[in-house]
This record gives sequence, C-alpha cells and structure tokens, in this order.
Amino acid sequence: MLESIIDFMRNTGVAALILNARAAIDAGNYLQAVGTPLMIIIACVLLYLAIVKKFEPLLLLPIAFGMLLANLPMLPDSSAILMHTDLFTEPDLMIDGHLNIQRIVSDGGLLDLLYLGVKLGIYPPLIFLGIGCMTDFGPLIANPKSLLLGAAAQFGVFFAFGGALILGALGLGFDVYEAASIGIIGGADGPTAIYVTKTLAPQLLPAIAVAAYSYMALIPVIQPPIMKLMTTEKERKIVMKQLRPVSQREKILFPIVVTIVVALIVPDAVALVGMLMLGNLAKESGVVDRIAKTAQNELMNIITIFLGITVGATATAESFLNLQTLGIVVLGLTAFCFSTFGGLVFGKILCKATGGQVNPLIGSAGVSAVPMAARVSQVQGQKANPSNFLLMHAMGPNVAGVIGSAVAAGVFLAMFGK
Amino acid sequence: MTISEALLQTGMTAVVGMGTVFSVLIILMLIIMVMEKLFTGNKTPAAGLKTVTTAPEKAKIAPAPEKPAAPADDDEELIAVLTAAVAASLNTSTYNLRIKSYRRIENNSTAWNKAGVRETISSRDF
Repeated sequence: MLESIIDFMRNTGVAALILNARAAIDAGNYLQAVGTPLMIIIACVLLYLAIVKKFEPLLLLPIAFGMLLANLPMLPDSSAILMHTDLFTEPDLMIDGHLNIQRIVSDGGLLDLLYLGVKLGIYPPLIFLGIGCMTDFGPLIANPKSLLLGAAAQFGVFFAFGGALILGALGLGFDVYEAASIGIIGGADGPTAIYVTKTLAPQLLPAIAVAAYSYMALIPVIQPPIMKLMTTEKERKIVMKQLRPVSQREKILFPIVVTIVVALIVPDAVALVGMLMLGNLAKESGVVDRIAKTAQNELMNIITIFLGITVGATATAESFLNLQTLGIVVLGLTAFCFSTFGGLVFGKILCKATGGQVNPLIGSAGVSAVPMAARVSQVQGQKANPSNFLLMHAMGPNVAGVIGSAVAAGVFLAMFGK
Repeated sequence: MTISEALLQTGMTAVVGMGTVFSVLIILMLIIMVMEKLFTGNKTPAAGLKTVTTAPEKAKIAPAPEKPAAPADDDEELIAVLTAAVAASLNTSTYNLRIKSYRRIENNSTAWNKAGVRETISSRDF
C-alpha cells in the first residue's frame, strides 16, 4: 500500500522536475537544469503573443501549446511522454539513417505519430492545397509583369543563406543545410520553410517555424519603413491602370501550365506547387465545389492543428535554448528585410521601364505572406494618395511570391537534398 | 568552412537560385502573355460589336431633346437600370430585388427650369 503511494509520488511532474534538474546538475549541464521551466515560460510568452497580440494565432497558438506539451517535466522513461524527438534524430534509434517506423509506432506518443506527417512531408503540401483553393491568380494573369516582382523578392532568401554561412564560419556552426533552411525564412511562407527544414535541418525546425510565423505577423511593422526609405513620395502617389478582366479559360489553364513548367525545371518544387495548383484548379474549374470547400476549410484546419502542435513539440530545451536560435531570429529578420528590399528595387526598375505606370510599392508585396504584404502596399499607397487603390495590383506579386518561394525551396532541395 | 569559402558558396547558390527562380517565373510570364494574345484575339470582334452598339445609343440620345418620351419605350433596359440603382443605394445584390412597377413623379418645377435641365443634359457630350 505505502509502496504504491510512493510510486505515485515518484511519477508526479514535481518529482520529475526535481530529479531531472538534479541529474542535469550532476552531469554539469546547468542550462539543461533550468531548461524545463525556461521552455514553459517561453511557450507561455508565445501563447501571450498569439492570444493577446494576435500574431498569426492560427499557427502560433498550436505551436506554443505543442512546445508546452513537449516540455512538461517527465521522467526520461515515462510512458506519458508525448513526443520523443530522439526517435527522429538519434542515429542509434534509426535504421541506416532512415526512420524506424516500427519503433515510432510502438514506442511513440501521440505527438510522435502526428509528427510523422511533418517528417514525411505530408502536411505542408496539404496546406498548400487549401491555400490554392483560396488564391485568386486573376491579378497575376492580368498583369504578368508581377511575376518578376515575385521573383525579385526572393533575394532575401539567398542573402540570409549567405549570412548564415558567414555566421557559421565565424563560429555559430551553421552548415549549408542549416543555412538553406534559415534562408528560406525570407520566402515569408510558413509551409515552404517547414518543408525545406524538415528535410535539410530538422533540428532547427521549431526555431525556424517560430521565426517565420512571427515575422509574417510582423510584416505590417517590418515593411513600411523600408518602403518609405526606398521610394519617393512621387512614386508612391502613382495610380495604376485598372487591371483587365481575366477570362475563366485563362484562370483554368494557368494552374495546369504552371505545374508543367515548374516540373520541367525544378521537380523538387512540385510537391508544393503541384498541390497549390490542384487546389486552385479545383476552385477555378467550378465543377468540384465540394472538394474545394473541404480543402480550404476542414482539411486545412485539421492539418494546421497537426502541423502547429508537432512543430512546437520539437522545441526541446537542448535544441532551442542556444545561440543558434538567436542567430536564426536575427537572420530571419534580415531575410525579410532584404526580400522586401529586392521586391522594391525591381518595382522601381519596372516603374522606370514602363514610364511610371507601375507603383514601386507593389514590389514589396512580392514576399509571399498572402494577403498581408499586399495590404501593406495598399495602406502605404493610400497614405501617399488617398484615391490610390493598390490592393489588387499588389495581389499579383503577392501570389507570384508564393510560386517564387516554392521554386527557391525546390532549388535548395535539389542542391542540398540528401 | 572559412569566410572565403562561405562567400564563394553563397555567390554560387545565389546565382543558381535567383537564376532558376527568375527563369521559371519569366517563362510563366511569357506563357501568360501568349495566352493573353490568344484570348484578346477572340476579343477584338467583341470590342467591334461594342462600338456598333454604342453608335445607335448616341443616335437615340441625339433626337431625345425633340421627343423626350422616346427612351421610355425601352422598358427592359430602364428596369435594369432602376434595379441596379436601387441595389447600389441599398448595398445589396440585384438578385434580391424585383421592380414591380415604376412611375414618373411629377416635379413641380417651372417650364423654364425643365428647359434649363434638359439643355444642360444635352450639352454634355458623353
């Protein structure tokens, strides 16, 4: 009787907290000793940002809660542990560097099983399916030059890639795989960043996902100063010609053509772009309304829950509380800034080339955060000229940016994919 | 990796990466432009039709001052215009509205006033 009570006491979280901390101190790992409470505090701060500050709450809330769940104090061999990150990273627990699915299914907790969807690259393409159903490529088809802006706004990806490599050379220890995963934050596209990172640098997944989604939420703060710096008052006042109406036939042909062209050049991007275009075709064709509705509502919501909670759960104290995370936070911001810069520079070039018909403000919308970046362009344009409506013009580069960052991701996967 | 190696790697990756991104999107741009050409090719007869339809309208407006009752003959068009105007002012769709009847409200303005209004309208060259 007394023994079973003592057993129960030994199994409580309080006991685990104390025992784990003591074991870590004995091993001389002091950061590890305070790791659990610190990670719980970080998770609570992120929850605060999601709930009170409304930072992309749809993703940040499940990410933060996943982080909380994975960092609750538990004894190392407890059967209550929801997430065993070592099953996915520890070579001893894997077979020839591949996942040991048998072991994950039999030993894994709830979050391990759900994490398979990230690790096997299932969730991000399914999210793209839903995004495709919600995206209108009409403004892009009406003004195909926007594609150039969407391409130019990927500049930050490669700038941050270089920054990470240089920081790596200076001692932060980023290799090319990690640098590529950090760079892709500049694409301002959460699912793309997760898709690249889970392949190239899974140990950085939580830091990169949190950085990408936080900066996406901060776009209305990050972009305007750069936009003001890069454009003149006169350029911001430019009113653009109304877009031509786009026929349904063009809207139906577009997703098919894009899929084929992308597959011919960057096959690694097809998982993302192909699903994006499938979703868009379901919407534009108008013959499968039921599928389109499910993909953009129920399916996408379910996947968002799974993706958020498991990405958050990979954030353990040893993978998150280090200088690399700090480096990722700084480099992620740099990537966003330089993507905005690249888009604006090309916007100015287009403005000059067309004799002042293009308002360069739409260039910054080439970073793919849809539709936030386009809204920022609209707001800035209207500040300079109250009768200026740039929203639809900015949606062109904005959706082009989604394709652009998926292609950039494909390039990284093709160059560095193992 | 040393800094010079890092710079070299960055340069190479950036050239390949930005080059690929730009080439994919430029190819897409060209395809969209070709598609646009193909479809605007179909549109030119439509545009031609439009100018044909606007011509008689102008002709209708021209004799209007002599015979103000003439445009009222076209009931369907008038009802369409009325529906659209009501829908716009009520901020709703035209599908939610049905015009059952309409009649002109007599205004109490003087003959001079009416003549002035008519002259102003006819002097506008739309």
